[in-house]
Amino acid sequence: MPVTKGSSAKVVDAGSPHSVLGDAGIDDCDPAKLTQPIKEVKDKYQLLPAFLRVRGLVRQHIDSFNYFINHEMKKIIHAKGNERVTCDTDPNFYLKYLNIYVGKPSIEEEYIVTDISPQQCRLRDMTYSAPISVDVEYTRGKEIVMKRGKNGQGALFLGRMPLMLRSDRCVLKGKSEAELAKLGECPLDPGGYFVVKGTEKVILIQEQLSKNRIIIDTDSHGGIVASVTSSTHERKSKTNIVTKHGRLLLRHNAFTEDINILAVLRAMGVESDQEFVQLVGSEPAFGSLLAPTLQHCREESTGVFTQAQALEFLAARVKSSRPPGGFQRRGRSRVDEARDILSGVVLCHVPVPRYNFQAKVVYLAVMVRRMLCAMLDPGFVDDRDYYGNKRLELAGGLLALLFEDLFKKLNADLKHHTDATLSKANRATQYDIAKCLGTHTITAGLENAISSGNWTIKRFRMERKGVTQARVLSRLSFISAVGMMTRITSQFEKTRKVSGPRALQPSQWGMLCPADTPEGESCGLVKNLALMTHHDAVHIAADGGRVCRPLIICDAGVPRVTGAHLARLKAGEWSFNDFLTAGLVEYLDVNEENNALVALYECFCNPATTHLEIEPFTVLGVVAGLIPYPHHNQSPRNTYQCAMGKQAMGNIAFNQLQRIDTLMYLLQYPQRPLLTTKTIELVGFDRLGAGQNAIVAVMSYSGYDIEDAIVMNKASLDRGFGRCVVMRKYATTLKKYGNRTQDRITRPAEAAAPAGASTTTTTRPGGRFSVLDADGIAGAGRVLTQGECLVHKQSGYRAAPVMWKGFPGERCAVDRVMVTSNDDSACVVKVLVRHTRRPELGDKFSSRHGQKGVVGCIVPEADLPFSERGVVPDLIMNPHGFPSRMTVGKMIELLGSKAGAVSGRLHYGTAFGEGSGLADRVDALSAELVAAGFSYSGKDLLHSGITGEALEAYVFMGPVYYQKLKHMVMDKMHARARGPRVVLTRQPTEGRSRDGGLRLGEMERDCLIGYGASALLLERLMISSDQFEVHVCTHCGLLGYWDAAARRARCPGTGRADAMATMKLPYAAKLLFQEMQAMNIVPRLVLAEA
Amino acid sequence: MVAPKAPQFYSPQVKLRSLTEDYCEFVLSNVNASIANALRRVILAEVPTIAIELVEIESNTTVLNDEYIAHRLGLVPFVSSRVHDMKTIYEATEDDDWTDVEFTLNVRCTRDETMNVTSDDLLPADTRFPDVMPVGYDERGSLTRKHKSVLLVKLRKNQELKLRAVARKGIGKDHAKWIPAATVSYQFLPEITINHDLMDTLTDEQKQAFCAADPRKTFRFNQISKAVEIVDPELYMYDGEVLAKAAEMGKPGLIDICQRQDTFIFRVEGTGALTPDDMVLTALDVLSGKLQTFGAELDREGAELADLTHGML
Repeated sequence: MPVTKGSSAKVVDAGSPHSVLGDAGIDDCDPAKLTQPIKEVKDKYQLLPAFLRVRGLVRQHIDSFNYFINHEMKKIIHAKGNERVTCDTDPNFYLKYLNIYVGKPSIEEEYIVTDISPQQCRLRDMTYSAPISVDVEYTRGKEIVMKRGKNGQGALFLGRMPLMLRSDRCVLKGKSEAELAKLGECPLDPGGYFVVKGTEKVILIQEQLSKNRIIIDTDSHGGIVASVTSSTHERKSKTNIVTKHGRLLLRHNAFTEDINILAVLRAMGVESDQEFVQLVGSEPAFGSLLAPTLQHCREESTGVFTQAQALEFLAARVKSSRPPGGFQRRGRSRVDEARDILSGVVLCHVPVPRYNFQAKVVYLAVMVRRMLCAMLDPGFVDDRDYYGNKRLELAGGLLALLFEDLFKKLNADLKHHTDATLSKANRATQYDIAKCLGTHTITAGLENAISSGNWTIKRFRMERKGVTQARVLSRLSFISAVGMMTRITSQFEKTRKVSGPRALQPSQWGMLCPADTPEGESCGLVKNLALMTHHDAVHIAADGGRVCRPLIICDAGVPRVTGAHLARLKAGEWSFNDFLTAGLVEYLDVNEENNALVALYECFCNPATTHLEIEPFTVLGVVAGLIPYPHHNQSPRNTYQCAMGKQAMGNIAFNQLQRIDTLMYLLQYPQRPLLTTKTIELVGFDRLGAGQNAIVAVMSYSGYDIEDAIVMNKASLDRGFGRCVVMRKYATTLKKYGNRTQDRITRPAEAAAPAGASTTTTTRPGGRFSVLDADGIAGAGRVLTQGECLVHKQSGYRAAPVMWKGFPGERCAVDRVMVTSNDDSACVVKVLVRHTRRPELGDKFSSRHGQKGVVGCIVPEADLPFSERGVVPDLIMNPHGFPSRMTVGKMIELLGSKAGAVSGRLHYGTAFGEGSGLADRVDALSAELVAAGFSYSGKDLLHSGITGEALEAYVFMGPVYYQKLKHMVMDKMHARARGPRVVLTRQPTEGRSRDGGLRLGEMERDCLIGYGASALLLERLMISSDQFEVHVCTHCGLLGYWDAAARRARCPGTGRADAMATMKLPYAAKLLFQEMQAMNIVPRLVLAEA
Repeated sequence: MVAPKAPQFYSPQVKLRSLTEDYCEFVLSNVNASIANALRRVILAEVPTIAIELVEIESNTTVLNDEYIAHRLGLVPFVSSRVHDMKTIYEATEDDDWTDVEFTLNVRCTRDETMNVTSDDLLPADTRFPDVMPVGYDERGSLTRKHKSVLLVKLRKNQELKLRAVARKGIGKDHAKWIPAATVSYQFLPEITINHDLMDTLTDEQKQAFCAADPRKTFRFNQISKAVEIVDPELYMYDGEVLAKAAEMGKPGLIDICQRQDTFIFRVEGTGALTPDDMVLTALDVLSGKLQTFGAELDREGAELADLTHGML
């Protein structure tokens, strides 16, 4: 689409929608177009960095947490059931919460409160949290005591709240890069996660079906069902209206059976049929649909005509939660109970003030009406997967649920304690409830929930255990960390084979990234937010958790944002919020988008257009945003890259060398890509790269490049290509025990002994002590050999050393040692072990287009092809990788990188960016290549390095950004001949870490059976595994025992030794026989001469 | 060994075109591609230079870890003019064979601003070999520091790097740090013949378009004579653009381009370790050494075979 720049007249392309819409459209808008300020379409993109500056990438998490801390906590303590703690024994007693505060992040160590930074917590295995305190008013004896704190702190300490990084209460909030560096924090780190017991935890965004929303659906029989999941602070319940034999019935957990909807309405006060029909709607078509319901209500079995009858009818069908004959509250009949259920449980989100059912009646009628509509026209059936029907639950909301639950528990404990104390007649001291406030409940409750991910909320019947998974923030690469923050998990079961929830919904456009989802079982269930998605927390007349995105508002097809506005933005006078307040840009949610006509570019605008897209590449998420020219690739390739980009090594964060993570992969010479995208710049990937620009020749070479293998230049590897560092943490804590003993680290005795004695054996349980310093901890910079002891710890008199678990061939060194104490004032020792690796055969590499491959061959530079300029490829890729994968983007990347390398300018390959100038076009790139004396096609004439002759064909060669993935041969290769066995079965152990055997599985076994290789089978499955010789009594068929004194085998029953045979069987079989005998089953062996 | 009757290839010629400190270009003719390639391969793989091979780190409080610094030190090019007097450790047989040159590096940053540790900070530990030094070496303390030294690591205040490094002789086959050349490459001399008869059938615009088709501008349209001229056949990159253009214009035989199989434009670019002429001459030495060994082996084998057949008779 041609874009006019700076001219006052607008060129309308023949293919533009104007011509499609017809002449009328053009005539109408022409006058408007003339007055319209024309600006460069390129500028519109400026809104995006502005948006990210205001909102940030993980703003949804932080906003939601801030809302929880600043508003929701106050609401919770002032809620009806929470505000007062009373006492059953003393009617005058009360405790009232006045206000709640969350303070600064701090820690109390030996009664001294000090401020803490997140980095301290990470290193010292502490929780980054702030004290929660409250102001209270309560009775002490006869007087009323008011306790108020000052300086933004409450009077009483209630517990500790784990803080989200970069939230309002966090020390990192609003800090500059230099200040962040002082705190040991990476400025590019997005925040939005918690540090709990030293590990970084993210509360992933949860996707749910909308609450408090009528959803019309069809059941398995094709009947129409209306369902509402009601949710209030107090209660959650699900209400369905189903159709059975044409009747509309209410189905709810509180009732034992489905109840005629008319009966329910009668119970709510709708006594006449006419009123019912008028509520639903008196369209003639509805008449016949409602008839069976009306009929059924009159039938003898039902016979409900009045409100009283209806209530009786319902009362008979209330599911009793109490055991029969149990305690029942006095003065409360079953009818009252039924009425209470109707008002408080069924559709509990619709308020029923003083049993005035008016609102609930209307709500039910709407449900019925929508069902009837759907019966007449199936088009009215809602789509459950439609994104407008989805709500996202974030950290703040989840924490609010948990906090309220813990708060209730705290109050209940307090009440219990008060009841017990005040019921005693004479007390020595006056009861002061302020001194009885337990802090453990909330502190431990929050901490455990976040670190384990088990959200158990007792207040709702349904246990939400394991629904929320707070996961360890993945720190494999910067991108994996950022990607994790935008991840959304769905509550659908992964194992179920449903396609609906997994499918890409058109309504997800602009909200969720279409490319970034895992492969395999959770495909389509785990999603990622798009770049500009924003999460609505509060909105008038709308619920929270709706996904929204910003769009430019258009008046009759003319965008409100003009060049003048953007100039102000550029000058820094305006921020994104100014655009919002000025009404130039607004947020639209999925439902509202249905009523909007959004134009992609200005040239597509027509009078009907209501909104203009800010930039089309924002439909993609952060991880997919790294791919150059993704719109030229086959879409699954982009999805593959989204998975692999998270495994790429590079720089993790600016503070990577200060971090002590369990496992860290760092690249020694990471580069920024020569072909970049706008997303890369916005996210900061250009400052924390995860890959290198390799000169790639697309050609066949040596045959070691089949099946996506790549051929590498040895000289490039010598010079540092793909060189990486693997850091592994070994940690231990010195515990204190009840009997006043504690773990200790001692200098090993052997260290003092002659050097020759201590270094020879490796089998000694204490290991080798050659790297230990005088303090019993390994010294930084020391090189490790197998079986080396890192920390010489003793627990009591028992040696409990921290051993290095390296494999032979790994030449590791101690990188750093840290000795500190955590909040239990226990000593923590962390040793970081470093291993530098250069790429070897079998290491995995990938470009940014889902094209992974392992190193198949490493070739000396002299043997590789060279161009007449002397360029030798770093890496050779087989051209067969292209036809079936259709990754045209990779070819354009090569072209663009090559043009960039020769012209000294970075080129862009932003998604869908050609239209707005955010991606360079192929012809422009080719022109640049030609100007630099290269072929426009990116191909070069190469000479064979082996024969010296020119190659017959021109070879497509240029730089492509390659990522080294974390899967390396060194971590995987494994083989064994003989080795350790499992004690129980005497079979070889399993797994590389236990030096296990390689399993001959069922399928392999089947092959051997099919082939008839019985001797091989016997050898593999018994002789080389767990062969065992047993003595069997030929009479009774039971396993005998060895009489050592008589030196002969005996029958277990008779003790006779004359009929004993020996045979070989797998030890596991012998074990099975014995286990069966233990369960009173007699396995008898019937032997025959072989 | 009697050489067979030499065909024309066996009288190679070298015409030197340019020679500077680190660049050399010559035309090698009367040889075939295998000889030219052998020369290229030997320069890359087997011309010895000096590079740091062993690093003993005493103290390292810099941001880069020990292996990182060792790797960087290894890649620093060293002036290797005296490499021929040295022996590699596996060649050395005598006690007084010269194999090692020791260097020390001892730097500590005491000031507030960032300090650069460069290859200039590598100081020779023994004064016997003053001409073995990092390329672009500049005496410490000289006020006019050339910026040709190689940056190793940057230091903050109170960071320290103290190490001992041993430089040794080696070849590029073992590790790329011993490769003396930045690039070695050659080009087949293109032979371009213009079919002037056919060319004259083109209009001037077509001729200009034809000239423009080549990205390297090998052809020029002479405004006066209205003819297509060859600027310099060497510019041509064998990209086939002009041939495609000719075919597109419907004149396939417009020009004929072929590679001269016996003439090569050789370009050698050095890292500073060896001068290009030294590189080429050493390469020839290595090559002839190989041939001599090969010849000697052949003779020995021949003699053995003769003995064997003799004994059988």
